[in-house]
Amino acid sequence: MRSADVTFGDGPTVVELDDVTRTYDVGGVVEALAGVSLALPEGSYTAVMGPSGSGKSTLLNLIGALDTPTEGRVVVAGRDVGTASEAERAGLRGTEVGFVFQTFNLLPRLTAVENVALPLVFAGVPRAERTARARELLEDVGLGDRTDHLPTELSGGQRQRVAIARALVADPAVVLADEPTGNVDTETGAQVLDVFDALHDRGNTLLLVTHERHVAERAERIVHVKDGRLEDVESLDDECGGRAD
Amino acid sequence: MDASESVRIALRSIRSHRLRSALTVVGLVIGIASVIVFATFGASVKAEVVNDIEGSSANNVYVFATPEDDEGFDRSIQPVFTERDVSEIRRLSGVTAVVPRGTVDTNSLGRGDDTVARQRVTATTPQTFAEGSIVAGRGFRSGANEVVLNEPAARSFDENATVGDRLTLSLAGNRTVELTVVGIVNGTEGQLPVGDFAGGSRVYVPIDPFYRTVVESPSVGVRQRAYPQVTVVTDPTATEATKAEIESYLREDSDARRLTPAGTELTARTSGDFVAQVAAVIERITRFVTGVAVIGLIVGAIGIANIMLVSVTERTREIGVMKAVGARNRDVLVLFLVEAGLLGAIGALLALPVGLAGGYAATRYAEVTFALAPVWMAAAVGVGVAVGVLAGLYPAWRAARVDPIDALRYE
Repeated sequence: MRSADVTFGDGPTVVELDDVTRTYDVGGVVEALAGVSLALPEGSYTAVMGPSGSGKSTLLNLIGALDTPTEGRVVVAGRDVGTASEAERAGLRGTEVGFVFQTFNLLPRLTAVENVALPLVFAGVPRAERTARARELLEDVGLGDRTDHLPTELSGGQRQRVAIARALVADPAVVLADEPTGNVDTETGAQVLDVFDALHDRGNTLLLVTHERHVAERAERIVHVKDGRLEDVESLDDECGGRAD
Repeated sequence: MDASESVRIALRSIRSHRLRSALTVVGLVIGIASVIVFATFGASVKAEVVNDIEGSSANNVYVFATPEDDEGFDRSIQPVFTERDVSEIRRLSGVTAVVPRGTVDTNSLGRGDDTVARQRVTATTPQTFAEGSIVAGRGFRSGANEVVLNEPAARSFDENATVGDRLTLSLAGNRTVELTVVGIVNGTEGQLPVGDFAGGSRVYVPIDPFYRTVVESPSVGVRQRAYPQVTVVTDPTATEATKAEIESYLREDSDARRLTPAGTELTARTSGDFVAQVAAVIERITRFVTGVAVIGLIVGAIGIANIMLVSVTERTREIGVMKAVGARNRDVLVLFLVEAGLLGAIGALLALPVGLAGGYAATRYAEVTFALAPVWMAAAVGVGVAVGVLAGLYPAWRAARVDPIDALRYE
């Protein structure tokens, strides 16, 4: 089944997976992804759903340049993840990909603004510039008055918003979110999803992994993954996408 | 990532584990400080001893017989230099004076009821006493019952001996002589710089009439006085050349050569030779002791390596996050190396005053003048940083190799 050969929308492709297989050798060969093809056009908002062990995380790791495919090609922002060196992949992660994790993954000893600016540290952006940019983004997510707080001084929702600001700081080609509402209460989760909607409206490309239907429905389309394969791609109308236009 | 940012992040991490970092640093401080203490103490002792020797006349050549391969110290000094040798050496060019020196076995030296045990006194000629060395009175005259004390010897009586005092010298064989103190000399001026030359008490009597060690001169065939040691005062501009002449005389023509038992070598040494020799010995001892202290440094290094490994394990998830937001392996490596190097540098900088204070205390205790060993100090600090970085190499390498996918899953 090559259902995902379909390119969504008309924009240029930001992320492209071409017949990607990823196997792990853990005593025996385990196929985490098998022959997956998928393309994310610029400005699209895609949700990935599937049971645990379905290959969602592997998909995310490949697009996030944390992992390389065993077979096939993963192209992010025009660069082939499979042939890139370790340093090149690090560069890709720093500048073209923004990660938002379920558990926020903020560095505990850095303030909010320092956490947001961290990707720019590794990208070699001068201090004044990256701090200004980080402050701007914290303003955008409504944390302008929290810039110098440590993560422990912030609520779960605030931490996740810091993490989102960090994901955006390098102006990446794609933002990857792994269960971003998994560790916050429903109300806060809704706020986090509102932030994603706003990002989508501003033209950011989003890929969100979730197992919650109502979260996935905020996206434009849902890619269903099972046993390492794309089972189905479900297109959602704007109306039932629940976006506040 | 720029260097200042690495330092900032590393400092943040060190500060967040104050106690742990402090204990790690303490381990290193002990190691580096002990190196500095011993190096400083060694340098101080060396400076003191070298000063003592250099204080004695630099244009003196000391001639004595010593077993071969010996370092030239006071063991087995033989009375082999005859009167004939003394007068022959006096004739060599560049020689301004020849001062033979021997010892007279004694039992004690007394002033009134105050008797001090003394096994020997030095018998020599009046030229022994250089102008500057006489603190009070004058040198003795040959043939007179006169005695000169150095300051430690004068202090050895309950009440310091002074010029004009009458002393009773009890010679071996239960003979006693009455002597008049005619002079007090300071320290070690003009003496053979061996034995307990620094601060040892010395009593000088004239060779005539007290020195009675005689041998038959092989070249002249008559019994003459023979001395274990001769100090040759030379023209300061030609000390080395004169030393060479003396050596060639000793080798070719001297009574001493024929009187010297097998396995014993005739030696001529200048003050400079002694300085070099003594300095080399002290240097060797210092190096050895400092080497022992280096073990402390190694223990400190292991402490850093250990704590850095713990740190890497604890921060596995952080490493994963950093990699996810664009840190290269090299960035992570540098970050941990900088942290380890900083621990080393902090340890070294703290160890510097601690070590200097310890070194100062040691010199005070041993009553030597405090001298700095700047090279060792710089080396200790450099070694501290190097030790930190080296100790951090393996942990940092481990950190750099952390797989971000595993790390992000890591709880």
